[in-house]
Amino acid sequence: MTHQQNTLNDPMKMYRDKRDMARKRVTDKYAIQGFISSGTYGRVYKAQSKESDGRIHAIKKFKPDKEGDVVTYTGISQSAIREIALNREISHENVVALKEVILEDKSIYMVFEFAEHDFLQVIHHHSQSRTAVPMPVLKSLTYQLLNGLLYLHNAHIIHRDLKPANILITAGGVVKIGDLGLARLTYQPLQPLFMGDKVVVTIWYRAPELLLGAKHYNKAVDVWAVGCVMAELASLRPIFKGEEAKLDAKKNVPFQKDQMLKIIEVLGTPEERDWPGLKNLPEYSSLQRLDKYHDRLGEWCRTRLNSKEAFELLRQLFAYDPDNRLTAKEALQHKWFQEDPRPTLNAFASLAPNQGYPQRRITHDDAPSMIPLPAASQAQTQTQAQQLAQVQAQAAHLSQQLSTHPHSGKAGSAASFASLSGGAAGVGSGHARKKTRLG
Amino acid sequence: MATDFWVSSHYLRWNVDSAVLRQARAEDIQYVDHPEYLDFLALFFAGLIAKLGKKLSLRQRVIATATVFFRRFYLKNSYCETDPFIVIAACCYVAAKAEESPVHIKNVVSEARSLFSSEATTLYSGIKTFPSDNAKLAEMEFYLVGDLECDLTVFHPYRTLMTLCWKEGSDVISEAEAGELGAGIDDGPRYWGTGEGKLEMHEGALQMAWFIINDTYRSEICLLYPPHLIAITAIYMACAIHQETRGDIEKQTQSGAYAFSGSQGSQGLTRRSSRPSSSSYKRQQPQDIVGFLAGLNVNMALIATITQEIVSLYALWDRYSEDATTDSARASLKRSASGSRPEIITPGLLIQLLWRMREARSADLSGAHSTPGRPVAVNKMLERAQAAG
Ligand SMILES: Nc1ncnc2c1ncn2[C@@H]1O[C@H](COP(=O)(O)OP(=O)(O)O)[C@@H](O)[C@H]1O
Ligand SMILES: [Mg+2]
Repeated sequence: MTHQQNTLNDPMKMYRDKRDMARKRVTDKYAIQGFISSGTYGRVYKAQSKESDGRIHAIKKFKPDKEGDVVTYTGISQSAIREIALNREISHENVVALKEVILEDKSIYMVFEFAEHDFLQVIHHHSQSRTAVPMPVLKSLTYQLLNGLLYLHNAHIIHRDLKPANILITAGGVVKIGDLGLARLTYQPLQPLFMGDKVVVTIWYRAPELLLGAKHYNKAVDVWAVGCVMAELASLRPIFKGEEAKLDAKKNVPFQKDQMLKIIEVLGTPEERDWPGLKNLPEYSSLQRLDKYHDRLGEWCRTRLNSKEAFELLRQLFAYDPDNRLTAKEALQHKWFQEDPRPTLNAFASLAPNQGYPQRRITHDDAPSMIPLPAASQAQTQTQAQQLAQVQAQAAHLSQQLSTHPHSGKAGSAASFASLSGGAAGVGSGHARKKTRLG
Repeated sequence: MATDFWVSSHYLRWNVDSAVLRQARAEDIQYVDHPEYLDFLALFFAGLIAKLGKKLSLRQRVIATATVFFRRFYLKNSYCETDPFIVIAACCYVAAKAEESPVHIKNVVSEARSLFSSEATTLYSGIKTFPSDNAKLAEMEFYLVGDLECDLTVFHPYRTLMTLCWKEGSDVISEAEAGELGAGIDDGPRYWGTGEGKLEMHEGALQMAWFIINDTYRSEICLLYPPHLIAITAIYMACAIHQETRGDIEKQTQSGAYAFSGSQGSQGLTRRSSRPSSSSYKRQQPQDIVGFLAGLNVNMALIATITQEIVSLYALWDRYSEDATTDSARASLKRSASGSRPEIITPGLLIQLLWRMREARSADLSGAHSTPGRPVAVNKMLERAQAAG
């Protein structure tokens, strides 16, 4: 076929060929060391840059968006577009940095700076060793988390999925908020937020206004989640660990009765006087039907957070009325952070060398199906091969741990992340986002 | 980010100067008789994006984002080496997602097919090659996002217009403010200028500013200037064109009242919330518009340049017609009257032109003999021969 015929039948062929030729492949630039985690949207790998600096990265690979079970490629998922679009604009010490995005064979690879730890892992570690998170560490982690959140909120971004697994920490003890897959710009949205994603935030971290069906919510949902995370650092288990009610056949979001109950058991039943507008919320009547409880947060804190100021902060992060809840900025100015021990830039600064947290575990089992590993493992030196064996042993151990530990049930049931698209005109069933999202 | 244009990808990577723009068209310009045709193509394509956007019920801002994506794509590519129609469809598809109001891929494909085939019925049927396969559009999306370097957050002048002029109950702006309004618009601090407060414009003038902003996307203005300056230009122009507003300004100018009153900021502020029905109030004491705009403290030389660009765009647009009968009759008449260049440009003509450009380039590349009367192609081959030798 001549050039000319070619261009007329498939006018973009030459263009694509040109781009394909110029494209660097993931495995040209990175040596994949192993597999870190798998979620609904994709997988995360640990990889070493082949550039001279040999830096370590985490590469998040998005699966192509599928329609139901049929493998017809329908384009880049809303979640990937969102995460990419936001990450390209932001830059802050306490938000994980996107180094580059590689597009290859219908898959998207987001290359992030590597973070050795995360909040979930720190919590695991202490719960395993039956020790508490040392107060200087707990306070520094909370402070840096709020600091990253302040940046996002100032940039008009609501994260909407803050939870221990999504909050990373570098080996140097710097908190990095990750996973902007559910985050949204709130700057002059074209449609109300609730119309896009009916269900946001993993159930244990979900703010009461969301549970009560509020049509309008804002940054305060993230602050609630920070309260939950801080409490979890203190007690090593989720403070409000409710059972998630499933979506009904019509994909309606049911009232999350058990989750609401878990909250009021600790914080007491909310009253109109501390939350004006409470009566107008769609699920108010459902709330009325629950047993009444008194506020027991003080009691809860006494055994877990031995500081009056810490209790005060938590109290204000858990204000029922979102308008009354502290903002990230106010929280950072809280007295607790001004009293000793002060938060440190390296959250682990107070730890003795032998007290550090274990390195992130990586596995190799299912890697071949994703990024071609052979190329990577060929490049590996003998020591790396040894590490690999070690890692596999650890992985086996980890999967055991995960099945016994309370955190294993990743954030309630599958439906906890369901983001049902209902709003946009002509979207039909909301192909791009109807999938259920796992943590 | 959303607060800070100056560190955005939009400003740092995609605000280009006219030299970059010229460079981007360097290949295309070899295949047209007059550079002006490229401006007409830019106008035509933006019109198609707006049409496709309307068919897909996309909001104005989504259409604007799609248009910016299209312009950015053609900073790196030539019209003649690509298929702008599939690029247009992909731009709409990605923009809808980037603006959080997604549409289904199969809707985009079917609406694009029907639009593009109807566009071409009059003169040229080649456009019917638009694929029916979702996968083709998905594939294009992928390459598009690559060429956009994954920079998918775009700033628009609408935002500045809203920040400056938004008022409760305005029909003009209501389309843009359907957001999180339970809590009021999250309009954040301004990223430019020094002024404060709101400009209270006549509804008609506001409407006009909004339309002028829509129109700027028909040219490459959105690549050349920061959006807030485009918005302020649109406000200036609307105030100058809008009868009643102009009357107000003239009165103030005569009485000398517009001279920089130090309190304009706070005046604007109080006015924002008060005056439920301000028309009677306005007649008595209209806001000092000139003073307000001066108080914004933006580069007036740039505002003047942008005004010029918009005026030229309208002049160009005057010579463009989508009236189908024009295609066959008027265009050819005009052509014969004025020599080789037609005075009225129609979509049919432009589609033809595009196909000729594409064929010529393709012939050029495959080394076929260039047709006589295409000196540009010859020149190109000569250049290549020289470069190779
Ligand atoms: N930059 C990173 N460095 C190290 N591990 C990471 C990094 N980003 C993500 N991970 C790991 O991968 C997991 C999933 O990543 P995340 O971005 O949350 O994707 P998902 O959308 O699948 O939840 C995280 O919980 C964390 O354990
Ligand atoms: Mg996650």
